[in-house]
Amino acid sequence: MNAENVKSQMRKGTLEYCILLLLKKEPAYTSDIIQKLQEARLIVVEGTLYPLLTRLKNSGLLSYRWVESTQGPPRKYYQLTEQGESFLQELEASWQQLTDTINHIKNS
Amino acid sequence: MKKTLTINLGGSVFNIDEDAYQLLDKYLNNLRIHFRKEEGSDEIMNDFELRISELFSERMRLGYQVISIEQVEEVIARMGKPEELFYDEKQEEETASDASAEKTSYRKRLMRDPDNKIIGGVAGGLAAYMGWDATAIRILLFLLIFLHGVIIPIYLLAWIIMPMARTATEKLEMRGESVTIENIGKTVTGGFEKVENRTREFLQSDKPRNFFQKLADLFVQVIGFVLKFIVVLVGVISLPVLALMLFVLMVVVFALLVGGSSFLYHISPFGWDFYTGAPWGLVVMGCISFILFLGIPVFYIGYAICQSFFHAKPLNASAKWTLVILWLVSIILTGIYFYQTGWNSLPWHWQGSGVGFTI
Repeated sequence: MNAENVKSQMRKGTLEYCILLLLKKEPAYTSDIIQKLQEARLIVVEGTLYPLLTRLKNSGLLSYRWVESTQGPPRKYYQLTEQGESFLQELEASWQQLTDTINHIKNS
Repeated sequence: MKKTLTINLGGSVFNIDEDAYQLLDKYLNNLRIHFRKEEGSDEIMNDFELRISELFSERMRLGYQVISIEQVEEVIARMGKPEELFYDEKQEEETASDASAEKTSYRKRLMRDPDNKIIGGVAGGLAAYMGWDATAIRILLFLLIFLHGVIIPIYLLAWIIMPMARTATEKLEMRGESVTIENIGKTVTGGFEKVENRTREFLQSDKPRNFFQKLADLFVQVIGFVLKFIVVLVGVISLPVLALMLFVLMVVVFALLVGGSSFLYHISPFGWDFYTGAPWGLVVMGCISFILFLGIPVFYIGYAICQSFFHAKPLNASAKWTLVILWLVSIILTGIYFYQTGWNSLPWHWQGSGVGFTI
């Protein structure tokens, strides 16, 4: 049990939540998602995201369409599905609960 | 001056230096090995390729004509080295099951070694498996030939049966080294490749050697040549025999297709309704269940054969269960049919009714 391990577990747990949050605001290209997550310092390398997006897409939370690009190959344009939105609401609730719990413990 | 290759990456064409190509190829292969068990692995790989293609396209627009190894390294740094990508998962696995991970990762597999081979790599693979010296095993095998000739067919059989260790993971498994991210990562940075080629380099290098080593090298090379020659000779001689066997097999299959269908027609309920006078619906049900009853095992055996020859995907669990349940249902329905129509409908009762049939 070391700090790195726990930190990476935490990061992993919140990564899906953050992707769904980003996509709730507006549909986005994969590269936009990567950029925003890198700005937020949640991921370092791009490669972590592709398997995750595919997993989310396969479980029906995300969908995408191909958009032609003037520069290079066509790109995937991801958006939240209805199922994804209800999933996100559940996550929001449990996130709220989690922060409440932690605040409660910190302050008591 | 460097040689360049043309590649198609994500639907775009790029000119790429040879060394850059090898690095990229290794990188993508390692990712592929890692993701192969994941659902949608093709799609994930496609995403990677498309993104790399996009990054290369940006380069091209800046006026570069060729992708160099520096650019591939840059792209890999951006996408993530295997050890960075799989770090989290590795941590997870370790915490989940320390003991079992240990056990599986050190499992040795008997495989042919493509980097240490004279004929088929069997001796090299055996050496890696047993931890012995490959040359010693080769000499031993050669001496065994004189003791008993049966060693030659055994070698050929081993050549056929033992799989070739192609990927980095398989090579590590062959040596019994743990398949860890560090070890796979080494293949990308190239450190591992050097270890792999050490034996070969040694054979071909001009390093000072003592007399016995020289003698052994010469010995091994001569045996290699002679055995290769023998294998080719055996192949040429047995070619007509193989062709004949194939022909016979085709004739048998053809005969089964033509004669078998009429035979099946006769013993199936299709051929019976004339004799039994059973209700029409019952006969159709009987036919379908009878075909499933025979067909499912035949299909399954055929599939299993194809799978081992062409490395097709094994049937997934749900498909297997569907087949098993269908088959059980077909047994029950066939049983009901026989019960309803009476045992008189069986083929061996027909002769009595004056209707003969021949196969």
